[in-house]
Amino acid sequence: MSASWLLRRLLLVVYTVLVVSVLVFGITQVLPADAAVTLLGENATPEALAALRLRLGLGDPLWLQYARWLGGALTGDFGLSMRTGQPVGPMMLVALSRSLLLAGLALALMLMVAIPLGLWAALRQGRAADLVTGLVSYLGVSLPEFVIATLVVMLFADRLQWLPATGYVPLTEDVADSLAHLALPVLTVSLIMVAHVSRMVRSETIDVLHSDYIRAARLKGLPGRSILLRHTLRNALLPVITIVALDVGYLLGGIIVVEEIFAIPGIGRQLIVAVTARDLPAIQAGAMIMAVTYALASTLADIAYALLDRRIRYD
Amino acid sequence: MILSVENFSLSYRSGAGVRHALRDVSLAIGAGEVLGLVGESGSGKSSLAWSIMRHLPRTAQESGRLRLGDVDLRGLDAAGLAAIRGRRIGMVFQDPSTALNPTLRLGEQVIEVLMRHRGLSRAEARDAAEEALREVELREPAALMRRFPHEASGGEKQRILIASAFATRPELILFDEPTTALDVITGARILELFARLRERTGVAALYISHDLALVSRVADRVAVLRQGAIVEQGSPGAVFRTPRHPYTRQLVAAVPRPDRRLVTDLPAPERVLAVQGVSVHYARRRLFRPAPPPATQPTSFSIRAGEILGVVGESGSGKSSLARALTGLARFEGRIEALDRAITHPRAMRRDYRRTVQIVFQHPDSSLNPRMRIGEILTRPLRLHGGSLGEIPRLLEEVRLPADYARKYPHQLSGGEKQRVAIARAFAANPALVICDEITAALDVSVQAQVIELLLELRRRHGTAYLFITHDINLIRQIAHRIAVMRAGEMVDLREAAQIGAADAHPYTQALIAASPAPVG
Repeated sequence: MSASWLLRRLLLVVYTVLVVSVLVFGITQVLPADAAVTLLGENATPEALAALRLRLGLGDPLWLQYARWLGGALTGDFGLSMRTGQPVGPMMLVALSRSLLLAGLALALMLMVAIPLGLWAALRQGRAADLVTGLVSYLGVSLPEFVIATLVVMLFADRLQWLPATGYVPLTEDVADSLAHLALPVLTVSLIMVAHVSRMVRSETIDVLHSDYIRAARLKGLPGRSILLRHTLRNALLPVITIVALDVGYLLGGIIVVEEIFAIPGIGRQLIVAVTARDLPAIQAGAMIMAVTYALASTLADIAYALLDRRIRYD
Repeated sequence: MILSVENFSLSYRSGAGVRHALRDVSLAIGAGEVLGLVGESGSGKSSLAWSIMRHLPRTAQESGRLRLGDVDLRGLDAAGLAAIRGRRIGMVFQDPSTALNPTLRLGEQVIEVLMRHRGLSRAEARDAAEEALREVELREPAALMRRFPHEASGGEKQRILIASAFATRPELILFDEPTTALDVITGARILELFARLRERTGVAALYISHDLALVSRVADRVAVLRQGAIVEQGSPGAVFRTPRHPYTRQLVAAVPRPDRRLVTDLPAPERVLAVQGVSVHYARRRLFRPAPPPATQPTSFSIRAGEILGVVGESGSGKSSLARALTGLARFEGRIEALDRAITHPRAMRRDYRRTVQIVFQHPDSSLNPRMRIGEILTRPLRLHGGSLGEIPRLLEEVRLPADYARKYPHQLSGGEKQRVAIARAFAANPALVICDEITAALDVSVQAQVIELLLELRRRHGTAYLFITHDINLIRQIAHRIAVMRAGEMVDLREAAQIGAADAHPYTQALIAASPAPVG
């Protein structure tokens, strides 16, 4: 991995973000929402509407409006919310931090479960344990988030009454209570990812176990534990990094549904509120923040892969 | 006796029935002795190695005895096995690039063996590993140990595997075709190293190979395996000079010997093709990186009607790139002159050129469409080049396949038969020049001999010229009129076959010949 590769990779992120910004801005222009009408209400006089349009610069050419918006966005200023009158940038960033907490916990839980599960299934390939985990995984892959969320709430909140069903408590307020409220959403999101990541770990592990170098390691007389941990696991987990990076994209989408169900004021929920209120600045800010997060996540995954697999030389 | 195998049989159960891999095999290896085990693909030689290492699938069924010294190998439990594998029996594998873990540093992969089998601490094992790498004549072992497998050459990797097999001071080492995946000169160096290590350590070895000539040079005794049974055992000289079993006789006769010429007539004076300053570049310069070096430097030569021009060189020397340029599969610079035209671009190769110049590839498995019957495969070139479908039986007969093979699919044929179909496909276009790109490299020697004989027969009948690409210099010296030697994309030598061993040949040519000595006997 060379400095020039890193630089080019970061330039690619910038390019992606620019393309997304054009799309986001363009789509919000096409939406049947007139900012002036939204702000002043249906009964405003034509004079008042015209005056506001002039003040907001809505009559200016599109490219000028885009440049103005992008300039603000780059400095974190996405404008004022049409709904609350507050700056949307800070509002969305606070929401993002809540979503990232949920996503980070879900990823961590998923990896802790999926890797051992996949490994275990691979070592028992073709036996009952493998078949059962496979079946459960396919079930997990095919169920949508809201079904799993409902099942989880029915079991843990309703029947067992272990955990609160909905709501959000900031981590700074009460750590235990905050985690208790996050537990069910984290479980829902990670369950779905466990299903396909554990399948991936399983098939990669089986491939590696059949490779020449594992046979060579066995015939060199190395102990089974060393073959599994030193020789198999590392090579089997490499492709999983790519899958996890793609999952970040899923997380961003899946989290919208899960946040709505569990009433967590994360970025997904804010986005839904913004769309229903036709709050254009908030929609733009939310979409841009998600795009940047995704671009950065996949770049990080590429870098991690290059660091772990020395055969890959980005130059 | 270090190793004794008595009346050992092995078979694999599967849904389709029982397949016998080894039948009643008996052999013994004494202290310091090297037994060469020769057999063609599928003869069961690797199965014997896996049986000795106790690395058999659950479907395996065995009978007979396997003993290492006084230990009954078949009766070992997990703990007993741990005391044998890697410790008392070492193994060197066929392909060093797949036998090493790609994400672990080379040093680690030697150190772990030493810690396990010699009970050394990490620091001691590191020193011992460095010493072991020095023993196998690797330069700067400490620096090499810090590298990853992809950062070392094939020869270096094989030396490292040999070092870790010898470093545990085993009584017996199994060598499973240790030079097959290496180029000729590197392989020859590995054999010299093996001879020196053997002298120094007095280890006993089972040396498995398909190459009778090679085994006759490294082994004290040779055993010939055919369809799971040993048909002949004896000293290399005796097996080679006075083979008793018909199969051994056939094997010995199939080994290429440069002194036994198979082609005696001379080519016609007229040229079929001339190459002038042709070079091949695969990738172009891009915005941020320089262009890679060319696959072949500008090369010039010509081929006369009915001539066999041999092209030898190691993998990556540019032989196949040349073939790809001549058939329009790769973009090239320079000029190809054929059919009274000069061609400077693949697009300029019109149908008549493509008919005149045909190619046969190394792997018939990937060059024959698996979903087409043989008849359909042969129909394509006949249609394209104006032949009639009634010629299919004649084409099959010419390559000595029964006419009813037209209805078969490629997977129903053996490797040699598939290559015959590929040859028939090339001849369907009635070409003046056929490029043979390592067409016998994947075949056993006896099958190779038959394919070569077929090619020479077709040449007698049609007057076809061949550009015969190979890494086997002994083989090409038997059939070529002239031989070109390629190295690192450059044609370093081009001379009459009879003059290839002359003193004024390029040093690299001389090195190639020295690395491929004729068999004992």
